[in-house]
Amino acid sequence: MTRNPAPADRHAGPGRPPQTEIIVDGDPVRAVDGISLAAVLVGERRWGLRRNPVGGDPRGPFCGMGVCFECEVTVDGRPWVRACITKIYAGMRVETTAGGEAPHDR
Amino acid sequence: MTAERGTAGYTAGYGEVVERDVVIVGGGPAGLTAAARLASAGLTVTILDEQPELGGQYYRRPAPAVAGHWGDHRPEGGRLIAQVRAAGVECRTGHLVWGVDDDGRTLLASDAADHPVRLRARRLVLATGAFERAFPFPGWQLPGVTTPGFAQHLAASDHTSIGDRVVLAGSGPFLLPVACSLLDLGVSVAGIAEAGRPYRPSLRALGTLGHPARLRELASYTARLARARVPIWQETVVLRADGRDRVSSVTLAAAAGPTRPVRTVEVDALCVGYGFRPQTDLARMLGCEVRIDAASGDAVPVTDAAGRASRADVYVVGEAAGIGGVHAAKARGLAAAHDILARETGVTVPASEARRTMSARRRLERFIALTDSLYPGPEALLATLAPALPADTVVCRCEAVRAREIRTVAQGSADGDLNATKAWTRAGMGPCQGRECGFAVAGLVRSVTSGAGAGDGGARVEIFPSRLPVRPVPLATLLELAGPESQKGDA
Repeated sequence: MTRNPAPADRHAGPGRPPQTEIIVDGDPVRAVDGISLAAVLVGERRWGLRRNPVGGDPRGPFCGMGVCFECEVTVDGRPWVRACITKIYAGMRVETTAGGEAPHDR
Repeated sequence: MTAERGTAGYTAGYGEVVERDVVIVGGGPAGLTAAARLASAGLTVTILDEQPELGGQYYRRPAPAVAGHWGDHRPEGGRLIAQVRAAGVECRTGHLVWGVDDDGRTLLASDAADHPVRLRARRLVLATGAFERAFPFPGWQLPGVTTPGFAQHLAASDHTSIGDRVVLAGSGPFLLPVACSLLDLGVSVAGIAEAGRPYRPSLRALGTLGHPARLRELASYTARLARARVPIWQETVVLRADGRDRVSSVTLAAAAGPTRPVRTVEVDALCVGYGFRPQTDLARMLGCEVRIDAASGDAVPVTDAAGRASRADVYVVGEAAGIGGVHAAKARGLAAAHDILARETGVTVPASEARRTMSARRRLERFIALTDSLYPGPEALLATLAPALPADTVVCRCEAVRAREIRTVAQGSADGDLNATKAWTRAGMGPCQGRECGFAVAGLVRSVTSGAGAGDGGARVEIFPSRLPVRPVPLATLLELAGPESQKGDA
């Protein structure tokens, strides 16, 4: 079996980095202030962000650099915002449209 | 000096108008290097980038909270950006350059609030960078399947792991540092599937060929991976990814016979990439001549040693001018800046500085050729992978077009023509504009039309043409650009 060390905070400074809270599909989510929205969603393992308009299957972030448009979500009422090139701020309201069976929906 | 926002001489339409000596599109290593040099010599310079901050992909800035706690993975990027700002460059981030106006030289952009901006310059520097080369497989559209670059960004800028158990696949040296970044975050890297066979004991011997530093870097990654007991499966490709709403396993196959499974691995993320492709849409839209690179099949703008394109007022630098890595990108940015300074100010840079820049470029280009030779060329990969792609595979992610339809149309009504295939199937017509599927669609079309392809001397441009807009443009931008009349008519 592969055993990987877990030196996640090997180089970390003391304490915790500043956090902020955003709202994702009505749920409060806390994350490190100013990181990308895609990182927050993937960090929470909320992968399905939208449905393909043709096939209806769930899609999530793919390229991470604004090229593929798979991570589009609605931010503060503005549609088609690419989560991978958007940084979070306190109180940001995010709506995903994967709907129905997406793993993070209830 | 701070550049003024001018409006003189150009009043057609609405929206903000920017006029400069030089406008640079792309705030990565090449664009930043050119900007700093040009502005410090007194030219008015605007640099635009789509991302919320300068740095491009390579120098992507971590959030201050991340940098403060875990450190900055590339502090030299932060220093270069500071230098650009100090030199008085007008920095416009969150700006999407999506097209060229009818005059053939005014750039059309939208700002962070979707308002239109037009930009005109005496010299345009295109530093639009590169994007990762994808090749489809059944299940690649599942959430949790990403590019290696995304995993790297999450790790380096956001200190976030893409998954708990990950397989990396594809080809090229980039897979190694990504795997190491994941290990640093405590992720279990189940293995790396490399389509070629670049890693062997003789890799060490290559270190004597004049580029020890860069090869040492590669060797240090392989050593780190060996210590963590991460297997590297060579001559291995992804056969398919499975999962219901998200990837849960990946099945691998031998690259030589990519139809028979050899191994299935449970994962919660799968990152697949075959190196990088130059982003040349804007160059092509501006009418710059491109050539098809024989090894990669990619369109590469034709430039002289200074980066000057077939249009005298346009320069293409960095990865957009051909994949070469960060050092080559910066060298190209600097060479273009020197050429522009000579033409705009009549002041030639000191011969010693110019000579240094050029010889650094030549050395780097030899190194690029050497690393490229370690990995299978994209065209060779296409020849193996495209014919084996299962008929049901979604090839165009945006329009959900499957391999079967592409083959049928390519053989039938499109008669082997790539663009006709695109028009008939809609493959490559979604928001990504064929960036993700274009390579594969070209390979599929070629694989079913015997005779055409590698041997035809590149007479036919086997890539999708550049289309306006290069990115989907917010409707609000278009309405505002067209002026109040259109908005009234639309309401």
